Amino acid sequence: MPMKGRFPIRRTLQYLSQGDVIFKSSVKVMTVNYNTAGELSEGARGKFVFFNIPQIQYKNPWVQIMLFRNMTPSPFLRFYLDNGEQVLVDVEDKTNKEITEHIKKILGKSKETLEKEERERKKLSHPATFGPKKYHLRECMCEIEGQVPCPAFVPLPKEMRGKYKAAMKNEA
Amino acid sequence: MSVPRGAVHAKWIVGKVIGTKMQKTAKVRVTRLVLDPYLLKFFNKRKTYFAHDPLQQCVVGDIVLLKALPERRSKHVKHELAEIVFKVGNVIDPITGKHCAGTRFLENLSDSENLTEADTTYLSEKLQELKVCSTDK
Repeated sequence: MPMKGRFPIRRTLQYLSQGDVIFKSSVKVMTVNYNTAGELSEGARGKFVFFNIPQIQYKNPWVQIMLFRNMTPSPFLRFYLDNGEQVLVDVEDKTNKEITEHIKKILGKSKETLEKEERERKKLSHPATFGPKKYHLRECMCEIEGQVPCPAFVPLPKEMRGKYKAAMKNEA
Repeated sequence: MSVPRGAVHAKWIVGKVIGTKMQKTAKVRVTRLVLDPYLLKFFNKRKTYFAHDPLQQCVVGDIVLLKALPERRSKHVKHELAEIVFKVGNVIDPITGKHCAGTRFLENLSDSENLTEADTTYLSEKLQELKVCSTDK
């Protein structure tokens, strides 16, 4: 059964995680003013609000996004930063791709910062250790390649089994 | 542990004023987009905040920018009014700087729009009638 709605692909996790606009930590509020009629705000209203805003909110869950409709004749975006600064972006007659590129350039985290953050996150979890699933990749030593496999799947060789070792000790 | 500005999580917030009945305090409703885990769609979730407004310049329906106070002012008031973004009935388009209403520009605030001469005469007649009624009593 296909998904319900006009463009249900907007509601898939894969689509949401494909959003590439990640705001800097100083951006707190994003306000979008657009109009429901008129060709000039077609890029903002038609495409940006419908397709890109879910991606942006998914990637930046702590940024408050507010949408205002039909308040002013011209569509615009407004960002409120942590230091009190406000950034006004005129969006009239722009396609949604241009808008996202512009936002990424002015207020998005650059590739280097993103890579750095990823590396730091990797550093925190050591991949060679094992333990509870919450903190490590593997739970038991038997899951690591090169170690003795789990006796639930592959029986241990005779020399490692307890009853053989006890029998050898008795003989000697 | 140092407490930076705002013992609250939200430092800057934009919301709509819903009540001004308290003295020097405005009740502000803030909506955030929250993802529904099953539908994977964003819905507005409301939350009300109380903001300190010393000059009582907010009217119900204004869009307002709040700033977190460094420490709580009272049990519920943790923010103060930083700026009125859009005043109700008096919206200024930030790009052109003109007054506007909906998708139209208002050229002049004082000029009452679309009032023809017939309207003004009709109104003045009505006013005279009212004056007559009051003197009769």
